[in-house]
Amino acid sequence: MLVLRRRPGEKIRIGNDIVIEVLEIKGRQVRIGINAPDRISVLREEVFLKIEQENRQAAQSPVDLTILEDLPVVG
Amino acid sequence: MRIDTTRFGTIDVEPDKIITFPQGILGFPESKRFILFPHGSESLFWWLQSLDDGDLAFVTISPSAVCVEDYSFKISDDVQEMLKIEGPEQVEVLLLVTISGKPQQSVTVNLLGPIVINVETRLGAQLILDPVKYPVKYPITSAKNAPLKEAV
Repeated sequence: MLVLRRRPGEKIRIGNDIVIEVLEIKGRQVRIGINAPDRISVLREEVFLKIEQENRQAAQSPVDLTILEDLPVVG
Repeated sequence: MRIDTTRFGTIDVEPDKIITFPQGILGFPESKRFILFPHGSESLFWWLQSLDDGDLAFVTISPSAVCVEDYSFKISDDVQEMLKIEGPEQVEVLLLVTISGKPQQSVTVNLLGPIVINVETRLGAQLILDPVKYPVKYPITSAKNAPLKEAV
């Protein structure tokens, strides 16, 4: 892993079109600005972890889906 | 080809029915090939069974079947490229179903990470939508008939 020291206002460029800027440091929190093209998805890691965790739970479904088949069908 | 599965025993898979997830499904990156089949002839639920891991299968349902209002999203350019999507008629969306809790069981669908499949190129991916707008556990208490595209 590449580790860099940056001060507020300083930037990092990744490739040609991604710029990351340290905006502000306040106590234990850092505000970061990210400029990236729309096609690049920028997400907090927690979102990935949340979906991963949900997927693991979803993968536990039993082959007997009685509870699902009991759902009322409307419309 | 024949695949041994935990839930369904040995199943026969027609090669042209295989759906490839180039990036896998979050948490299961090593499973790339899946097959989709209905739970039963009258069922609204579909199994997404991994062909690379016989233990791995998800229950899925169409968003139109779970009465979610205003569930629409844009598929980003990089995903469109990865799945070789040229038009909306190629796209099928499925939600992963989670059955949780004992003894009071509850059924939820994952609106945050829908599965998108190009039914023509048979390429699929799990998207990640905006966590502010979409919950990972959306309870369902009823369903309605909503057939999937025939090509699935």
